[in-house]
Amino acid sequence: MTAETIQNASPTTGTAKAISIRDMNKYYGAFHALKDLSIDVEAGEFLVLLGPSGCGKSTALRMIAGLESISSGELLIGDQDVTEVLPKYRDIAMVFQSYALYPHKTVAENIGFPLKMAKATPEEIDSAVRAAADQVELGELLDRLPGQLSGGQRQRVALARAIIRRPSVFLMDEPLSNLDAKLRGNMRAELKHMQGELGITTIYVTHDQIEAMTLAHRVAIMKDGVLQQLGTPKEVYSDPANLFVAGFMGSPPMNFITGKITGGQFAGSGAAFAVAGAADAQSVKVGFRPEDCRIVDKGAGLLDADVFTVEMTGDQVLVTLRLQGEPLVVKMHKDFEINAGVTAGITMDPEHLYFFDGETGARLRTTAQTS
Amino acid sequence: MSTQLTPKRSIFEAPAIGQMSMATKIVLYTLLLIWTAFVLFPIYWLIITSFKDAADVNQGPFFLPFVDFQPSLHAWKELFVTDYEDTLRAYFNSIIISLSATGLSVLIGSMAAYALSRVAYAPNLITILFFIFLLAMTGVSIGIYGVDWRLAAAVAVALFFFLARAVGNLYQFRLHNGDILFWIISQRILAPIVVVVPIYMMFQTVRLLDTHIAIIITYAVVNMPIVVWLMYDFFNSIPRDLEESAQLDGATMIGTFREIVLPLSRTGLAATTLLVMILSWNEYLLALFLSTTKAQTMPILVAAMNAGERGILWWSMSVAIIVMIIPVVALAIVLQKYISKGLLVGAVKG
Repeated sequence: MTAETIQNASPTTGTAKAISIRDMNKYYGAFHALKDLSIDVEAGEFLVLLGPSGCGKSTALRMIAGLESISSGELLIGDQDVTEVLPKYRDIAMVFQSYALYPHKTVAENIGFPLKMAKATPEEIDSAVRAAADQVELGELLDRLPGQLSGGQRQRVALARAIIRRPSVFLMDEPLSNLDAKLRGNMRAELKHMQGELGITTIYVTHDQIEAMTLAHRVAIMKDGVLQQLGTPKEVYSDPANLFVAGFMGSPPMNFITGKITGGQFAGSGAAFAVAGAADAQSVKVGFRPEDCRIVDKGAGLLDADVFTVEMTGDQVLVTLRLQGEPLVVKMHKDFEINAGVTAGITMDPEHLYFFDGETGARLRTTAQTS
Repeated sequence: MSTQLTPKRSIFEAPAIGQMSMATKIVLYTLLLIWTAFVLFPIYWLIITSFKDAADVNQGPFFLPFVDFQPSLHAWKELFVTDYEDTLRAYFNSIIISLSATGLSVLIGSMAAYALSRVAYAPNLITILFFIFLLAMTGVSIGIYGVDWRLAAAVAVALFFFLARAVGNLYQFRLHNGDILFWIISQRILAPIVVVVPIYMMFQTVRLLDTHIAIIITYAVVNMPIVVWLMYDFFNSIPRDLEESAQLDGATMIGTFREIVLPLSRTGLAATTLLVMILSWNEYLLALFLSTTKAQTMPILVAAMNAGERGILWWSMSVAIIVMIIPVVALAIVLQKYISKGLLVGAVKG
């Protein structure tokens, strides 16, 4: 989509801007909440900051918004250095987890608030409010107060308020986490559609990897204030940079076995098999995804384990096995049948094995994976 | 059968009058009537007493005007015709003092409460103690040793600026918002009688005794802790997200305050204003010390009526009390709609 078509599609004008985060740090007293974050977000890109709670992703977002000061580093929106600029001059709109609707204002007043603050005329505000409300399908609720709306409707009001001014950047802080599962799915699809249509650069914070995978052009995975990996959803899923990313992405998560590699042979707790192309290592974690492996007869796979439980989820069967007390999960076809308590083999293609340093968690690539 | 098993209402839902049995209704209304009489009788007694002669009061009790006794306007006439200057002066003094003191303490107190609820302060305890020490020393050197006040103030300011940081570094103990709040509220724990003599002497020194200003300042200070305490809780209940969102939406600090904070705190402000207004309006002890004639307030006027040569003037006192009640009731009616609305504010989650 070109810049022109983006402008034509929206009620007010404005162009998407790139965001450049350079060595951004945040200290709360002695606590180092965000460590040297550097990300370049392209104009019109949908970037998701993903991580467990307390990883610094919300702090990073609030710093981009200007709600938290930047302890050190630089922040550029477009060509402008906004490190020290007040939030209202950054040309951004933000959707809060709590929606932050003004409880004493009607839906129309809530949506029109940014324009009122920009000193637009009542006629301009009115027509823009209608356009924005139509876009999120809120047309008939304009006279209600936020307290009279359902969670999904409040979410739409918050979105309409964000899009009405047509900002250069959207910031969203877990906007879907207060919705029930079904509504969350619908809103996710609508958000993605709307972002694509408006083409506004968006930074979206979530701890939900499904949201991250489905919405993002690129995902930035964070832990303890440090960026772990930045890449497309496919990259972070199939080519994780370290143990944390590998374990965080995927549901059910990746299976790990601890052991060591000597001369192309892996020897670990209860399992031993050949690993072609892997360098020797004293402490190593071998990982494989539940969907990359299969259950076979005892002795026919790479390793044997005891079946612990079998869970039928409808579209698939999740088999949990135990290898010396450590759980391993295997995703099988919905017609698969096995009894708990028996010993079974697990097999997989060697290229689906991931190796990580047992101490640092860094990825150890085999010769096949490096090329 | 199934309809009988379904409860008609949840346990916390008030029952509708129509659904009650006759016996319940009779008991309920009897209790309500007794309570109503209990509450309203003193006011009724006050009103009829204001129309009684000395004889009617002393030979009583008489309950019904025109039946038990012949009502007369003599007390009303005395207060509003013969002695109208004293009455009206006290009345206007009360109005001016209560309004000004309430306005002042609500304005300053709610600003303090807002700052305490939004900004994390961490003042150094030693620096504060040093400041108080210097203040006391300045006072002593001026008051006792006769040092020129300009010199004393200059020396104190200079000492504070040069030494504050050095002294503060001696011991790093910082106070936090909770400590500040407790300190403010603790001002109210002290009974006013304890400080009334120092306050008297202070205003005597600056020659402000028996003036509006003295009483207004005193009331504003005395009521400030209540305002801070109530409004702090109230501001805390307003989600911070709302103000941050307004700022991102392009509002200035003043715009955020006017558009978001003020409308949402209207309820708390109304309740606090009413409470402080009533406290100032009824205050007796401090007014007794700080006023003699010119700044006398209504409570003093009423109290003076039971200490005259003519004995206790129940009828005049009743008249004065009736006119004293009216403004408070009127204010309560005006503010009531804001106060009852307050219950809804929390229901709307940002």
